[in-house]
Amino acid sequence: MKKLDSHQHMTTPVIAARSVGTRVLRSEDPRLLSGRGEFIADINLPGQLHVAFVRSPVAHARIIHMDLSAIRDADGVALAWSGQDVAPLCEGLVGEMAVEGCFPTTMPLLAKDEVLYVGEPIAVVVADSRYAAEDACELIDWDFEELPAVTNADAALAGGPVANPQLSDNLGLKGGASFGNVSEAFEQADQVVQGRFYTCRVSAAPMETRGVIADYEWASKGLRLWSNTQMPHYLKYMLTAYLGFPEQGVEVITPDTGGGFGQKAHVYPEEMLLPLLAREVGRPVKWIEDRRENLIAGAHAHEQFVDIAYALDADGKITGVRTDALGDGGAYHMPPWSMAVEPWCAVVMTPTGIYDIPAAEYTYSAVATNKTPVGAYRGVGYMAGTLARECLADDAARALGMSPFEFRRHNVVRDFPWTNAQDIVYQEGSWLETINVLEKMVDYPAFLQRQSELREQGRYIGLGLSVFVESSGESTATSQEHGLGDVYHDTATVRLNPNGTANVTIGLSAQGQGLATTMAQMAADTLGINVEHVSVQTARSTSHAYGSGTIGSRGAVVAGGAVARAADVVREKVRLVAANMLEASVDDIQLTDGLASVKGVADASVSIADVATSIYFDTSSWPEDFEPSLEATQAYDPAQAMFSNGGHAILVELDPETGFVRFEKVYSVEDCGTVINPNIVEGQIRGGVLQGIGASVFEELAYDESGQILTTTFLDYGLPTMDVAPPFEIHHLETPSSHSASGVKGMGESGLIAAPAAVLNAVNDALTPFNVVLRDLPLTPQRVLKAMSGELSTAQQEATSTQGETGHA
Amino acid sequence: MKPPKFSYVAPTTLDDALKHLASDPDAKVLSGGQSLMPLLAMRLAAPSILVDLQHVPNLSDIEDRGDHIRIGARVTHREIERSALLADRLPILSAAASHIAHPQIRSRGTFGGSTAHADPSGEWPTILLALSATMQAVGPHGNRTIEADDFFVGPFTSTLRDDEILTHVSIPTTRTAWSFQEAAVKKGDYGLALIAATGTPRGGVLVDPRVTVGAAVGSVTRLVAVERILTDEPLTDELAEEAAVAAAESVKPISDIHGSSDYRRKLVASLVRRAVVELKNGA
Ligand SMILES: Cc1cc2nc3c(=O)[nH]c(=O)nc-3n(C[C@H](O)[C@H](O)[C@H](O)COP(=O)(O)OP(=O)(O)OC[C@H]3O[C@@H](n4cnc5c(N)ncnc54)[C@H](O)[C@@H]3O)c2cc1C
Repeated sequence: MKKLDSHQHMTTPVIAARSVGTRVLRSEDPRLLSGRGEFIADINLPGQLHVAFVRSPVAHARIIHMDLSAIRDADGVALAWSGQDVAPLCEGLVGEMAVEGCFPTTMPLLAKDEVLYVGEPIAVVVADSRYAAEDACELIDWDFEELPAVTNADAALAGGPVANPQLSDNLGLKGGASFGNVSEAFEQADQVVQGRFYTCRVSAAPMETRGVIADYEWASKGLRLWSNTQMPHYLKYMLTAYLGFPEQGVEVITPDTGGGFGQKAHVYPEEMLLPLLAREVGRPVKWIEDRRENLIAGAHAHEQFVDIAYALDADGKITGVRTDALGDGGAYHMPPWSMAVEPWCAVVMTPTGIYDIPAAEYTYSAVATNKTPVGAYRGVGYMAGTLARECLADDAARALGMSPFEFRRHNVVRDFPWTNAQDIVYQEGSWLETINVLEKMVDYPAFLQRQSELREQGRYIGLGLSVFVESSGESTATSQEHGLGDVYHDTATVRLNPNGTANVTIGLSAQGQGLATTMAQMAADTLGINVEHVSVQTARSTSHAYGSGTIGSRGAVVAGGAVARAADVVREKVRLVAANMLEASVDDIQLTDGLASVKGVADASVSIADVATSIYFDTSSWPEDFEPSLEATQAYDPAQAMFSNGGHAILVELDPETGFVRFEKVYSVEDCGTVINPNIVEGQIRGGVLQGIGASVFEELAYDESGQILTTTFLDYGLPTMDVAPPFEIHHLETPSSHSASGVKGMGESGLIAAPAAVLNAVNDALTPFNVVLRDLPLTPQRVLKAMSGELSTAQQEATSTQGETGHA
Repeated sequence: MKPPKFSYVAPTTLDDALKHLASDPDAKVLSGGQSLMPLLAMRLAAPSILVDLQHVPNLSDIEDRGDHIRIGARVTHREIERSALLADRLPILSAAASHIAHPQIRSRGTFGGSTAHADPSGEWPTILLALSATMQAVGPHGNRTIEADDFFVGPFTSTLRDDEILTHVSIPTTRTAWSFQEAAVKKGDYGLALIAATGTPRGGVLVDPRVTVGAAVGSVTRLVAVERILTDEPLTDELAEEAAVAAAESVKPISDIHGSSDYRRKLVASLVRRAVVELKNGA
């Protein structure tokens, strides 16, 4: 895999950390916490109409007849469209992943011939109010012939009934690769441990549902589209590419957004339909997704099976790993991430994890089923991959009679840079240290003592460990490192004002990550000014800056790099003028703490504010040929893939009478290089781990065999709440990246990536006296109680096999 | 999730409320709205007219009447949770109130609404059956009282007639031995199983014990087999075990995505055991 040479020039300045690394309070909070945020539902345009969708109540059917005349005649209705009406304007959204063995699908904006999942939009209604629109939706007259619903991934893979006629063998993705001598490793293994893990279907369930407002101005052909998307620039591109709106006239506006987590990093049929409707009715149109729609029709996540096997030598070293991932992808590829991304990432991104495994082999497939399309959710694929790898590590430790810490320490990579079997290069990391620190934090001997004492009393506690490495700062280089061709970059604009304050604009929309705070810290330190003097505008509109999306733990790294680079251009201007004012050499000018000072000369300084004022208003301060713009826009895309790492240890207790899992404590170690702001990093850890706890114990989007979704409200879909959130103890390690601005690495996804493995390991640790090992999520009370009542045979749960008998699926 | 069209009235007398209710077969009483409004929003119910009780007088008191306490239909879950009188005289209500949903919902949802709604997962129906409460209703033909045993007859079904309004619930205060057990996955969730057990302690045994189960069953029901075991017997751990076995054998649990009937049977047994042990320790 070639590295992109052209990226080497994107250097970032070396700066003195002042606000970087400190617990600067979030500048967003006074506004958001006092109810002054403006979310999409708060926005009302004069003359706006409201949109509601008719969604399929059946999983798979052929549409025989559809008549919208009763809808059109209903009170207050301005327009109603079926799939037939919209198809001439847009055939649908093509979804695929640019890897070999991915078979694309085209998802219609409204189902035309066949409906493929419950919740698929089949008609859209525009009316005076949402009430009138929903009333009218009930008047739909349609006939359909039910077709067999494919609801099981294994069955879909085996052939049989077809879920989506565009994929005749149900395959949306199939492929694999092998590195090193895997067969030999397994043939010569002293023992093989293996298991099949299941990560259930969940929803990212952001607190704010999706929403779109479209306003079309026929005279200029201008389109303004409000969407709480994580990828405004990509959405703008799609609006021009698919619908033909003139690029120069399209503005995508992203108001305050209440969480995205990847669900809002897709482009949805609803976002494509609203502009067409606005153009047709000549008035602004608004759609705010309700919770039921969000649970049914917002991208689903996670559902896949991962088969994994380790070959172990007599010393307990892993000599080879085989992984196979099978994703239950739902009916279509959801652009741009597709049903492929979940299983593909699970096996390709980190099959070796933190372990020094010389040989690795993986296969992956994604199958279409008659369920809602699966897309990206915080740490897509990494969660399942980490679950399989880390839980199998515990199986191996049990088989070897080693402690989970010991087994990991025995196999962990110790020397960097390290190139894994796949040829992925890890420049640096604190992988061993993570294990050691976690072991200390939990006081393992004391835990073991307490565990055995409690067992005597009929109480069952368990400690689960999960250690991860995560590619972060999603970039062109990261993409290439993993064999993809995606190209990313972001820009930022920095302007220094006459009084020495700064305004910064970035190309990323924010969903609650605190980007306005961390980017202010990066800009402040680069410019040498106080962080309170910087104001950051995240991408509220595509008219400023450019960005590839708030995804893939990339915000801090990529926006941070762009901000530092843009601020550096301005900084150089300030240094030039300061040198002139102080009659010193520019090389000796340093900018810190609001002052431009001469290195090594006490008292030789001028305030940066005075320099800025002079640049604006006093030409005599200028050196010769000085160009006075104090505004710069720069791009950034890291030159190399970078990986953050860390681990969690989670302490649980199982109730032997109810099967409930109670969370006692979470211990987290995070190494995301230089920490810009510990508060924000810790918030990301807490939120991510809580989502991981949800995905492993409380949440599941359930379907029945006919493809009917059963969890359509929060009554049935169990999000974790504050009440189940345990206390956290968080430890920061800092192994800076050698090439990002200030050595920052991304970490937004790590909590969700690694927590479920720790939860499952903790539950299995607590279950040790019952001689069972669970591998399916979620760990419902019913499953746990069954395990505790000895109803699951050990044979059925057997993880180890003797030499040669690999039994790999 | 917007309700279909409906009319709305907020009468200021009980008589007017009854008139409105009788004016249309699809009229419905609105109390706290915490069950009814979600049903409307999901279009699972489409009443023609909602008769809001919020301005009807005399429905919001908790009154000590000596051997019983009378609670108005409009008293909120939150008021019950915070009532000093109930904490003293009917502490099972104070204890159970905090299990109902979350504070926001408890501040709006009402005792009468929950009782009339007859949700098999509701704390109040389960507890009122165990406390042998009496419902007071008024309709076009006058007042009547309905014993809890005759009130909850099916899932979301009571013997209250469509044109009647539940005004008060009277609860005897003699059942001073009590235990309330709920197995809910998270705080505020509806329980997977509820058990309420009450009785009058006399000379180390329970007189007339009542044990009811909610949530795990299609309709709140008494566990008569368990009651029989507890009657006039000294409460011991062995008796608790016997009661648990009887509960498991006699209960007819439902099965859904939150738990199979087999699982719920085990839960019911565990909760009954816990309840009897608690009665033993408290008695
Ligand atoms: C998120 C959420 C969680 C919840 N969790 C729980 C829980 O854990 N446990 C629990 O028990 N409940 C729970 N509830 C329901 C809540 O307790 C409701 O308040 C209660 O069930 C109904 O009371 P209400 O006053 O809101 O009645 P409403 O919703 O106004 O009415 C409910 C029904 O009763 C009828 N009705 C109301 N008052 C009268 C009356 N005086 N006479 C005749 N008919 C009447 C109405 O016509 C309607 O059919 C929850 C609700 C929500 C929204």
